[in-house]
Amino acid sequence: MDEIKTVLTRGMGRRSLLQGLGVSAIGISITGLVGCSKESSGGKIASTGEEPTLNFYNWDTYIGETTLDDFKGASGIAVNMSLFASNDELFAKLRGGNQGYDVIVPSNDFVERMVSADMLMPLDHAQIPNFKNVAPEFQDVPFDPKRAYSMPYTWLLLGIGYRKSKVNPVPDSWKVLFDSDQYKGRIAVLSEAGDMFRLYGKYLGKSVNSLTPADIKTIEAMMIKQKPNIKAYHEDNGQDLLAKGEVDLVLEYNGDIAQAMVEDDDLDFFFPKEGSQLNADNLCIPKGAPHPKNAHALINYLLDAEAGKKITETILYPTPNAAAKALMPDTYKNNPVIFPPSEFLATCEYAKFNSELQPLYEEAFTRVRAA
Amino acid sequence: MAIFRTRAVAPLEYTRKAWMQMWVGATLLFLYAPLIVLMIFSFNDSKRNVVWKGFTFKYYEKALGNDSLVEALTNSLTIAFFATLFSLVLGALAAVMLWRFRFPLKGVVEGSISLPIIVPEICLGVAYLIFFARIDWPTGMAWPLNLSAITIAHITFCFPFVAMVVRSRLASFNKEEEEAAKDLGATEWQTFRDILLPHMKPGLIAGALLAFTLSLDDFVITFFTSGPETITFPVKVYSMVRFSVTPEVNAASTVLIVLTVVLTAIALKMQGVKAIAEVH
Amino acid sequence: MAAPLQDWRTQKRPFAAIASMPIFWLVLFFVVPMAVVWLYSFGENAGPADIVISGTLENYKRATEWLYVSIFLKSLAVSALVTLICLIVGFPVAMAITFAPPNWRPWLLLGIMLPFWTNLLIRTYALMTLMGTNGYANKALGALWGGASWLKTLVGMQPLDAWTPAQLLYNNFAVVLGLVYVHLPFMVLPLYAALDRLDKSLIEASLDLGASQISTLNRIIMPLAGPGIAAGVMITLVPALGAYLTPDLMGGTDSQMIANVIERQFKRANDWPFGAALSFLLIYAMFIIVALQSLRRGQPKRGE
Repeated sequence: MDEIKTVLTRGMGRRSLLQGLGVSAIGISITGLVGCSKESSGGKIASTGEEPTLNFYNWDTYIGETTLDDFKGASGIAVNMSLFASNDELFAKLRGGNQGYDVIVPSNDFVERMVSADMLMPLDHAQIPNFKNVAPEFQDVPFDPKRAYSMPYTWLLLGIGYRKSKVNPVPDSWKVLFDSDQYKGRIAVLSEAGDMFRLYGKYLGKSVNSLTPADIKTIEAMMIKQKPNIKAYHEDNGQDLLAKGEVDLVLEYNGDIAQAMVEDDDLDFFFPKEGSQLNADNLCIPKGAPHPKNAHALINYLLDAEAGKKITETILYPTPNAAAKALMPDTYKNNPVIFPPSEFLATCEYAKFNSELQPLYEEAFTRVRAA
Repeated sequence: MAIFRTRAVAPLEYTRKAWMQMWVGATLLFLYAPLIVLMIFSFNDSKRNVVWKGFTFKYYEKALGNDSLVEALTNSLTIAFFATLFSLVLGALAAVMLWRFRFPLKGVVEGSISLPIIVPEICLGVAYLIFFARIDWPTGMAWPLNLSAITIAHITFCFPFVAMVVRSRLASFNKEEEEAAKDLGATEWQTFRDILLPHMKPGLIAGALLAFTLSLDDFVITFFTSGPETITFPVKVYSMVRFSVTPEVNAASTVLIVLTVVLTAIALKMQGVKAIAEVH
Repeated sequence: MAAPLQDWRTQKRPFAAIASMPIFWLVLFFVVPMAVVWLYSFGENAGPADIVISGTLENYKRATEWLYVSIFLKSLAVSALVTLICLIVGFPVAMAITFAPPNWRPWLLLGIMLPFWTNLLIRTYALMTLMGTNGYANKALGALWGGASWLKTLVGMQPLDAWTPAQLLYNNFAVVLGLVYVHLPFMVLPLYAALDRLDKSLIEASLDLGASQISTLNRIIMPLAGPGIAAGVMITLVPALGAYLTPDLMGGTDSQMIANVIERQFKRANDWPFGAALSFLLIYAMFIIVALQSLRRGQPKRGE
């Protein structure tokens, strides 16, 4: 049995060696782990009247480097941030009940979906005075009238990232991805069925929210026709495909390409003339959150001008926080990839949550892939 | 078996045959080449793990200073340890049950035991999400009790693998040995411990390795059973690299690989080799 | 060789001691949770997070449409190919471990397992770095190509055309390779466990009596390794069928597998009833196969 024991105990050994090596923080984190559930909450109480902890469920690389520490310094509330990778995962997980999350960051259509499923807590605007920092166009949005359930965090737009040395002339339309063999085998598009169908709709001159089952049929046929020219349906990692030289044109969010452009001069991004789909990520409090007051405090802090500036410096996404944007350098404010011209923005729409069409999109896209 | 060790060149020493060595070597190259790439890129001075930009150690500092990463790793290893232990016991018992007895509804029981292997992960994940929410499984317990839900889920999908491997091993068992032992007055338990268990050993080792590996690497089911306080390494990594692998994750993996190798080597040197040599 | 199965009635106490724990666990932590999902497969969405169990068979009707059946068959073919490759690659490796000197054995076993203690996603990304258009695999192939071209010019022939990088990623080849990479130990371990019990004197006798290595392999080793191969095939084929990450990341436009479709129902489409029906069709099929096998084995066979 000895070697079984070896195998079994290696896990423990690995940990104790880590500790033995004095790797920083491990001892702390273990004691922290054991203690944090109850001990830290024992005596202390935050200014909000709740135990000074908070569970923040966020996307990766979606916060400033020191933001959470700064917040702890300002409020005494320790934030435990865990990460999710897609809206679908977030929704699927919270559908079964809230396991203890206080603040979550769903996108616009998921805010709608969660509100209609009664999964979000209405926000108390009195506890979020920094709402005044938000740019007016984000203070009242179609997916959440009067911001009853959500606060804006970032927004982003779908467009086309490309490699300058390989793409000539610079295209200006979705055609290059959706309806052309000019760059056969050198293009990648999203694998998210809903976004794909809506953008094809845009290319055909329709609103992203007015597609009919007949349109879905038409678009499905177009997708099948275009399929041989496409290298991959990527899982929102298009910027990597582009940076590695796997593809020369890719359908991606502007913020992602802006991040990749920092490291590669040969990359650029354009917004197709037909218009595009707007997305916005929002701060919300799920029903059943154990620390709703702390959650309001964090949301308020994230909307602060200075804190918002630090977050924006790290993630480089467009910010709806006007006060924070004002503090940013011109290289950010005037970056055409991050902030497209307002004429273009006028052609963009938020996708509405549509429980009827979503399964149809999904099934049609499954057929496209199987074709 | 001593004869085999003393003989200089036996026809069965496949390990000495060139084609066999090449075959194993090529397989190992296939298995390790990506890991080597991963290790090299952990020194890459670029936020994205795409093109080589220069040498740096900074991601090691970052990874080791990342409390939540280390915490997630601790959770993962704890869960894998307990899941392996329980899976071994349950899997071995299930294998013996199916191998030894005839009982009503045996086909159904056998089918059900192999089901956790068959069920799509996401389906089982959702089942646990609902199950633990419905029965109001306590959350927020002190470590390591807060890992219990994840561990239960892991045991359930790991032990059928153990059962399957052990059972295929049992097929070769010579029941006359068992009967002889009983004729000589050994109790049921003594026979099990002294005759059956040693025979099952290679199956148990293989099963333990499988269970440990499966548990350590599970993402989907863990994702649905974990809460804000119980993040495991795969769940953490998955959300960190879904969009692109950062060198920080590579650095953490490299540390893990090196530690595993070193500790395994020490453990084997100290006890494993001797123990295994004695058995065969 | 083996004694007949014992009837549980004659051995009630040992049977209870052995069977109660696994059965109890299985019922409480597997059958009960899955029963809820099973009920969902007869339900329909009544809202974004509400399911009404209406007893409808609509989900099963949809799940048995040719679209999904064809994806299932394709996934089965891919998994079967992956299993076969794993068997071909893994069998010699398992033999090498079995016949290695005893003090090498644990090293070889761990050598096979070690890569699998690195996170699957990280490993897959590393494999992708290796196989990309500008990856090392392509660079090595390019160098070989260049070498061949140079050799040709040496003997006075035209050099080869310039090297164009081979397309190693984003197609079905990549999916098969990726799945083999992920599932190889699932084949090697059971094979090792089964081969390890081979009576080596049988092989020796066969070789001494003048049989060739190949015919010894065919006549002695393979039949004896049968149960191990069966276990290996089972625990390679079935998880490969359930793989979704590798096809997602490494596959091309037509590389979706049934697990991807199921995953999307539970996540993106938010259609749990349909996802449940798809999952349970898979489960019914497998359950029947396993139960039938068990029935066949239960029949008393000659010589046993």
